[in-house]
Amino acid sequence: MISLRGVSLVYPNGVRALDQVSLEIAKGEFVFLVGHSGTGKSSLLRLLYREAPPTSGEITVDGIRVDRLPRRRVPALRRHLGVVFQDFKLLPDKTVWENVAFAMQVTGAPTKEIMRQVPRALDLVGLSHRSRMYPDELSGGEQQRTAIARALVNNPKILLCDEPTGNLDPANTTEIVDLLLRINLKGTTVVVATHNQAVVDRMRRRVVRLENGKIVTDKERGYYYLGLGQGQVLSG
Amino acid sequence: MQLTAIGTVAVTLMLLGAFLFIRTTLADLGNGMLQQIEISVYVDSNATPHEIAALRASFRADPRIASVAFIPKSEGLKELRDRTRGVIDTSLLTENPLPDKFRVRVHDPALVPAVAADLRRLTGVGNVVYGQQVVQRLLRLGDVLRRVGMALIALFLVVAGIIISNTTRIAVYARRREIGIMQLVGATNIYIRMPFICEGLVVGLIGAAAAVVLLVAARETLWPRMLEALPFVQFNVTTVDVPRLVLQLFLVGGIIGATAAWFAVGRYLQT
Repeated sequence: MISLRGVSLVYPNGVRALDQVSLEIAKGEFVFLVGHSGTGKSSLLRLLYREAPPTSGEITVDGIRVDRLPRRRVPALRRHLGVVFQDFKLLPDKTVWENVAFAMQVTGAPTKEIMRQVPRALDLVGLSHRSRMYPDELSGGEQQRTAIARALVNNPKILLCDEPTGNLDPANTTEIVDLLLRINLKGTTVVVATHNQAVVDRMRRRVVRLENGKIVTDKERGYYYLGLGQGQVLSG
Repeated sequence: MQLTAIGTVAVTLMLLGAFLFIRTTLADLGNGMLQQIEISVYVDSNATPHEIAALRASFRADPRIASVAFIPKSEGLKELRDRTRGVIDTSLLTENPLPDKFRVRVHDPALVPAVAADLRRLTGVGNVVYGQQVVQRLLRLGDVLRRVGMALIALFLVVAGIIISNTTRIAVYARRREIGIMQLVGATNIYIRMPFICEGLVVGLIGAAAAVVLLVAARETLWPRMLEALPFVQFNVTTVDVPRLVLQLFLVGGIIGATAAWFAVGRYLQT
């Protein structure tokens, strides 16, 4: 579903954000990207939704060669992806309903389709009763659920989350992570960049650890620290 | 900010409209005068009928002369009255101050100065008048006006474009968050651009509408006064195709608005 081969990203200021990263993520997987701030987690996600092109290497997302994607084809790629951020990125002057519907409107979806998909997405995140409220009337968790509903309303095969719980308290964090898990169980491939140790350690999913732009560990059912997998012992 | 943009477009298009209007009128005037160019040969007031007949005969004999018409002083006064009706009260004249004259037309307007010089030497001729200098100056003036006008309008169009594109950039900046989210969820650039381009288009069209209103007002108030001030000049206003002129202004306004906005958003979306 997602494939990176020898991907490097060097910013114009010379900073090497990613260095020869290779990674395969299968359909329906749930993957944590962990590591300190500035180790390249966000950069990696940004490459996947083509916010920036890689300096070198091959990136394939859902069969699309993202590294070779011309600018005019980027919108088509984005419609196959849902993206969720730490700061929610909701429009403050639109209601919950309108924020979710917005993602369909910009793709030119017919009103009938919007009327059918928006309630479905809101129901999935448990916000049907909040649909007429504005973002600043919601809790942080509810805002993030709105953002997730927006990311899912176009039925993407992949959900990318960049520190989705970074602004949330533990109770809301649990709520969001459980929601992501439910979404994953419905078949959506989920990639979560986080530095929340409790979440990673509780979930016990695949953990890919980045350090200085390189993948240092990649373990199934891993823990946050050093990405240790089940039955492995900390060494060196 | 939008008002500034609309105002600039309005002023620009008003200049353009006035310029096109004046250019057409001047060109008509010049062409009309060139074709009508004639030599007025005023007969000396002491000339005898015999001398007048001799003059007529010599005009007829000149191969360069196309036609000759004798206008006795009574008819000359009548023509003057017709031409200045409502402007100059000729009924105050107690006697006819005009001399008899011949109206002489030449085959080739370029020969007018030479023919006029020859005619002046004939006996019984008081004065010889022709309007070629006026016509030439008029045509030259029209040419200069056209060049200066074009340069001025080009400059104004550029300024209007810059102001619209700046206005658009401010609007884009104010909505950068919304645009960012649009891009994130897969909106095409056309979809993002369209509202801003429509806004630029509307600014251009409103500016054009304002320019048309101002031009109509100017034509209703200033133009009759200008005609009054120049009673001897026969402006032929009807040849200006007004609907076409209005259409042109709206077209230019719309194009400049939409294009400026297009480039302004485009520059933002590229980064």
